[in-house]
Amino acid sequence: MKAGLAMIILVFTTWTGQAQILSREVVISFFSEAPLEDIKSESKEGVSAIDTSSNKVYFKVPIRSFEFEKSLMQEHFNENYLESSKYPNAEFNGTIKEPVDLSRDGTYPVTVQGDLTIHNVRKSYTVKGEMKVRGGEITAHAVFPVHVADHQIKVPRLVIKNIAEIVEVTINATYRPDPKQMN
Amino acid sequence: MKTLILVLIVCLGSFRLMAQVDLKELFKDSVANKGNLPVLETFKSPRLISSQSNETIHKHDLLFVVMHRFGDLAGKNGGTKTFFGLDNSTDILIGFDYGISDNLNIGIGRTKGAPNGVNTDQSQLYYFKAKYRLLRQTADQGMPFSLTLFGNAAVSGMEKRDLVTSDAGFSDFGDRMSFITQTILARKFSDNLSLALLPTYVRRNYVSFMDKNNMFALGIGGRVKVSRWMAVVADYFIVFRDQDTKDYFLQQKDFRFYNPLGVGLEIETGGHVFNLSFTNSTAILENQFIPSTSSTWTKGGFRWGFSITRNFTLFNKSNSNE
Repeated sequence: MKAGLAMIILVFTTWTGQAQILSREVVISFFSEAPLEDIKSESKEGVSAIDTSSNKVYFKVPIRSFEFEKSLMQEHFNENYLESSKYPNAEFNGTIKEPVDLSRDGTYPVTVQGDLTIHNVRKSYTVKGEMKVRGGEITAHAVFPVHVADHQIKVPRLVIKNIAEIVEVTINATYRPDPKQMN
Repeated sequence: MKTLILVLIVCLGSFRLMAQVDLKELFKDSVANKGNLPVLETFKSPRLISSQSNETIHKHDLLFVVMHRFGDLAGKNGGTKTFFGLDNSTDILIGFDYGISDNLNIGIGRTKGAPNGVNTDQSQLYYFKAKYRLLRQTADQGMPFSLTLFGNAAVSGMEKRDLVTSDAGFSDFGDRMSFITQTILARKFSDNLSLALLPTYVRRNYVSFMDKNNMFALGIGGRVKVSRWMAVVADYFIVFRDQDTKDYFLQQKDFRFYNPLGVGLEIETGGHVFNLSFTNSTAILENQFIPSTSSTWTKGGFRWGFSITRNFTLFNKSNSNE
């Protein structure tokens, strides 16, 4: 049922001139460097879409999909910090500022401006990244800092040496023309 | 169903016509709605105060546990002369739990033991325990509760007493043993409230005269979150003890049994969980505090206690899904 619906959406987007390009190959990771420990985590369950007519971009990642090396840390991340049962996803809605022609091969430095919602707190970001187009396949890459306090993620004083105030977020997305890759 | 799809197509079509497609909508149905994910942290640690919770520790994690119960806070054994019980310790537990898997834990440890001198004289209890998490509550309530099985075996290492009416008058090794079998039924009702029911069976191989070898009890536990790092926890056991043994101990020894009740504050910081509590039971291990609690809240027979747990991750998860 879900697959069928996705197919219909895909077919539909193809009909209408492929104005929207979808990706289910979005890897989002973050890195926190603090005096007592470095924490890294990664999710491979992000999704993204680009509307080539309006240059709008969209990202969404389920908080529960972030994997940590320490299971207890993963539990605390969900339960105490991001409160994923209340706010299950992080979302980004933005626009590519430069005019880019994604139908042509090449490497495009881009600036994306938009709102990132984490922990139900929306904040405006301007992120520099890079998009590569090769044979219809588009890859996007960006690295940007997130201040945990900006999203009202409270770190108790006792673990302030374990968790950085600013975490570095890395995004890698691959948009493929073949619809089979999208499910 | 087909009409629904049609409606969706029409909707999507009309979005397209507006030229401003909300990209969000593209993933509305196709992104897996993770409703069947297990609910996390019904309780913060494998124990509430003295009783177990449904929680287990993760695979390859080692949990170091220290628990302590002081002397009577008030009443004839409390007050300023014992600095509100702090001069005495009725029971101390030191133990380790280990996660064989996320669902199966084992543990070993020792308690000082809290003999009350009437129905139990046993002390120096070494225990082995096992805990298996059978069911986990899911976020979509497809599974509305969590279920964990718990069991332990305890052996008293004390020197045998030459008194056959005492439960420490062992005649063979088996007499030193006692067992707990428990089912822990738990539910996280909201982010702030979790409750547990613990039907329990206590088996003591050797008991004092007129005491019972086999006993049932029903535990009730709860946790109310007061901040993101602190919660109020409580546990209570209704002990089903036969009236004839109650009467015997009351008439012959002027001794009453009470149901154990604990109330505490749980503070969590990273890998540590601190638990500050008040309990009327003097013992820490189920094998003793369920059948042998003889002090009561109403006569100052409650005490301060604490437990500290520290979680060690022995092996990091390898990024196996690569």
